[in-house]
Amino acid sequence: MAAVNQDNSLVVAGATAPSNSKQSQPRPKTLDSQSVLKRLQSELMALMMSGDSGISAFPEEDNIFCWKGTIIGSKETVFEGTEYRLSLTFPNDYPFKPPKVKFETVLFHPNVDLVGNICLDILQDKWSSAYDVRTILLSIQSLLGEPNISSPLNAQAAQLWSNQEEYRKMVEKLYKVPKPL
Amino acid sequence: MADSISSVCNLAVLDKLSDDSINEILESYSGFCAATDTLLTGAGDLSAGQQIVSHVHGLCKHGLESLLRDYFLGALERTFEKNGALKFWRHFEAYDGDGSIEEEVFYNALEEIAMEKQYQEKCLLILVHALQSYNQGSHDSDDYRAQLFAKYQLSVSSVLMATLPRHFPEVLHWYFKGRLEELSTIMGGEFPRDHDEDDGADDMDVDDKCKVSYRSGQMEIDECYPQGRFLDNNKLVNNIGKVVRDLRSLGFTSMAEDAYASAIFLFLKAKVHDLAGDDYRVSFLESIKRWIQAVPLQFLHALLAYLGDTVSYDSASSGFKSPLASCPNTFYPGIDIPSEGLVRWQLRLEYFAYETLQDLRIAKLFEIIVDYPDSSPAIEDLKQCLEYTGQHSKLVESFITALRYRLLTAGASTNDILHQYVSTIKALRTIDPAGVFLESVGEPIRDYLRGRKDTIKCIVTMLTDGTGGNSNVSGNTGDSLLEELNRDEENQENTGLDDDFHTDDKQAWINALRWEPDPVEADPLKGSRNRRKVDILGMIVGIIGSKDQLVNEYRVMLAEKLLNKSDYDIDTEIRTLELLKAKSSMQKCEIMLNDLIDSKRTNSNIKATISQPSQMGTDLGDKGVSMDNFDATIISSNFWPQIQDESLNVPGPVDQLLSDYAKRFNEIKTPRKLLWKKSLGTVKLELQFDDRAVQFMVAPIQAAIIMQFQDQTSWTSKDLAAAIGVPVDILNRRINFWISKGILAESPGADSEDHMFTLMEGMVDTGKNGGNNGSIEDLVVGDEEGESSVASVEDQLRKEMTVYEKFILGMLTNFGSMALDRIHNTLKMFCIADPPYDKTLQQLQSFLSGLVSEEKLELRDGMYVLKK
Repeated sequence: MAAVNQDNSLVVAGATAPSNSKQSQPRPKTLDSQSVLKRLQSELMALMMSGDSGISAFPEEDNIFCWKGTIIGSKETVFEGTEYRLSLTFPNDYPFKPPKVKFETVLFHPNVDLVGNICLDILQDKWSSAYDVRTILLSIQSLLGEPNISSPLNAQAAQLWSNQEEYRKMVEKLYKVPKPL
Repeated sequence: MADSISSVCNLAVLDKLSDDSINEILESYSGFCAATDTLLTGAGDLSAGQQIVSHVHGLCKHGLESLLRDYFLGALERTFEKNGALKFWRHFEAYDGDGSIEEEVFYNALEEIAMEKQYQEKCLLILVHALQSYNQGSHDSDDYRAQLFAKYQLSVSSVLMATLPRHFPEVLHWYFKGRLEELSTIMGGEFPRDHDEDDGADDMDVDDKCKVSYRSGQMEIDECYPQGRFLDNNKLVNNIGKVVRDLRSLGFTSMAEDAYASAIFLFLKAKVHDLAGDDYRVSFLESIKRWIQAVPLQFLHALLAYLGDTVSYDSASSGFKSPLASCPNTFYPGIDIPSEGLVRWQLRLEYFAYETLQDLRIAKLFEIIVDYPDSSPAIEDLKQCLEYTGQHSKLVESFITALRYRLLTAGASTNDILHQYVSTIKALRTIDPAGVFLESVGEPIRDYLRGRKDTIKCIVTMLTDGTGGNSNVSGNTGDSLLEELNRDEENQENTGLDDDFHTDDKQAWINALRWEPDPVEADPLKGSRNRRKVDILGMIVGIIGSKDQLVNEYRVMLAEKLLNKSDYDIDTEIRTLELLKAKSSMQKCEIMLNDLIDSKRTNSNIKATISQPSQMGTDLGDKGVSMDNFDATIISSNFWPQIQDESLNVPGPVDQLLSDYAKRFNEIKTPRKLLWKKSLGTVKLELQFDDRAVQFMVAPIQAAIIMQFQDQTSWTSKDLAAAIGVPVDILNRRINFWISKGILAESPGADSEDHMFTLMEGMVDTGKNGGNNGSIEDLVVGDEEGESSVASVEDQLRKEMTVYEKFILGMLTNFGSMALDRIHNTLKMFCIADPPYDKTLQQLQSFLSGLVSEEKLELRDGMYVLKK
């Protein structure tokens, strides 16, 4: 039988002093803009690298507080194959306040009014700083397929929702391909 | 009747003519014609001359002088054409184009025609005398004679030219070539005295040894000029001189000159090619110059002396005084005062020799540079030639073509290209210290190298490796290219310092005198005189574009080297780094080296103070691993390149050892903790079989693999992979090492994915490790499998670019279409990854066009849009 006699030399990575955890305690008012900037930058990086299909957003040219977003309707919903443009405006005390999110293109949806305002709880009272751009966009994307009929902003859409075929026709009729900015 | 009506002025003359006088005229004229014909056709019989004189007098009385003169000349011409020219050309009819005309035939032909001409001249002289005796001084007699002879000469030339066979210039050429060779043989045959029977006669048959001395003999010919030979030569040269003179008298002056000049030039060219040929290890310029002195110039001297040395040069001489005056020639063997014609010939020949050698060398410059520095004499020759001819642009063009054709091809390895590049720099630095041509020659090489992916790696290897990066090159193994270059540069800098600090007025004046303008061919946009020093390292780094990239690549290589070290010996690395530090900031690399130094200290500290609690209790038998055999390298991972981390389950005792070590480290260096990279490093192990023991130096994963066979002699690949905690494909790749060593055997398992590995218990003397019975095998594994523990620069770059790609796709999704600079600015503003976006607009553009060609993007009217 083979006996193994070892002379080992392994390589070790020295970990430096324990890393300080970020933003664990809320300090809403005193938060400097630098850290908001950092947060938005890292959200952008995370969003870019995530590769989720059908959602995207990017800051406008000179202002990282104003983003343009794009959502593509999920498969097997009435919004399949359509593309909607949104605007996201972040407050100065983000992420302690939610961003203002609006549809820029016309969307026929029970929870979206005619000028694009969205009725979504996490964008209002259920907001938490744990959400980020990516989760907001994913939530809106899923809202498209699963509207909250009980509190509609667009009553006509809420009524029509039960008839998916007709609804699809309506969506197609009202749909406009977003123009390049 | 007709006369009476015709012009008035002639009437008186005609009236005067009596029938008698008309008869007399007719008689004299027919007499004159007959006499002339007799004289000219009568071979050598001048008796008809008397008749001519009387007839001439008779005709001249009636003022018919011009009539008879013209008739005489016409008769001369006709006769010459018939007796002279046709006969002359007939001699050469046998000539069939290969220069086989007999020397004798040539001489005979010339002699014959010369005699014919002489005879005719005598006849002409008779006429001249006859006319003169009639006129009795009313003409200026010398003038008149010269005029007639000139007319005659002209008619001779024109007859010959009109009937000239096409091959005659060739005949002349062959003749001179033959004589020149003969002469050269006589001159050259002087020196192999010990081969008397052969010398001079036929150098083609002389044996090799003789040829060598013959060759060297030519080079020294002028030092002791043999009088005896000179007489021989004189005879030969006299013959030639006679030929040339005869040819001149026939009106072939320029044709003869062309013929011997071209023969001399061709001969010189052949000589240069023969002498210099493909040997680049010796300088030939001086020997060629001496040969010019010895053979062609002797020939020309004798020839010009024989001809009186004035005829063909007087006309052109006046304008060329100054260059000749400024170039006094000191050495003409056997010639006291060089004539002006000869000096001019010498300049022509030397220029031609320079040009020939230069062309020869330029055509082979590629090979010469491959052989550099062995070929430096050839480079030195070339430099002198170019200084003389000033045809640098020829060199640049031809060399670039050669480079494109022979070096910058897919078949050439990057290493070879780089080495040729360095040789090129070194060689051209000799020719052109200002580096002006280097700039244009180096550009295609640099451009090409930039397109190669492994360029940076090769450069770094070349710079830092002791072997100069090329394993094929033996010798100078001790020094890296970097050290050599650094030494170089120090030397250059030292001289530079001298210039700066010790400049007194006198020195400044000398410097000013030494100043030379840039060569005229230099492109003023490229390079300048200010950059006098050719910075080889700079030119190499220039290929990469930025020093940062070089530093990055070096860092990756350094990391690889350091991680594979089992001792802490980093002297070479420190030395290299010191050299590189002079060039750019190497902070991270310094930290890496410092890590090693610290590791050594920490390691011994931990080992000295550890209590080894777990080791005490357990058996230190078969499986035990003592802390003494264990060394750790502790790295500050922030400053190291990305490290490929593979998970790995090391055997239990080793794992225990690792955690003990880490614990002790934590105790000493609180709050720091060790994170083990278990897949890195090396393991030295000994496999003991019944009949032998084999030592190996392997990667930890390979050690972990073989350890598993200690308790269980056969494994399926899935189970084994699970046991050591690596994916199956990695296991399969890594286990090949043991299979190739004949330690393990692979057999197909239950399903095609699952293989069976079995420990080969007995010694299987496979071909692969045959003859190794019981011997020690000490191998570092890793590189040979193409496994690298450090992410290469290309990998990093690719990773960076993926980030950019996602950003670009992201922004285009939301903004629809964007122009190049908007994308550039947006990336600059928002892509704050590690490392941040730092590309230039051009780099971005080429990256975007890559995406376009991958059909991810489209470019419409200068705007990029997503391809859907």
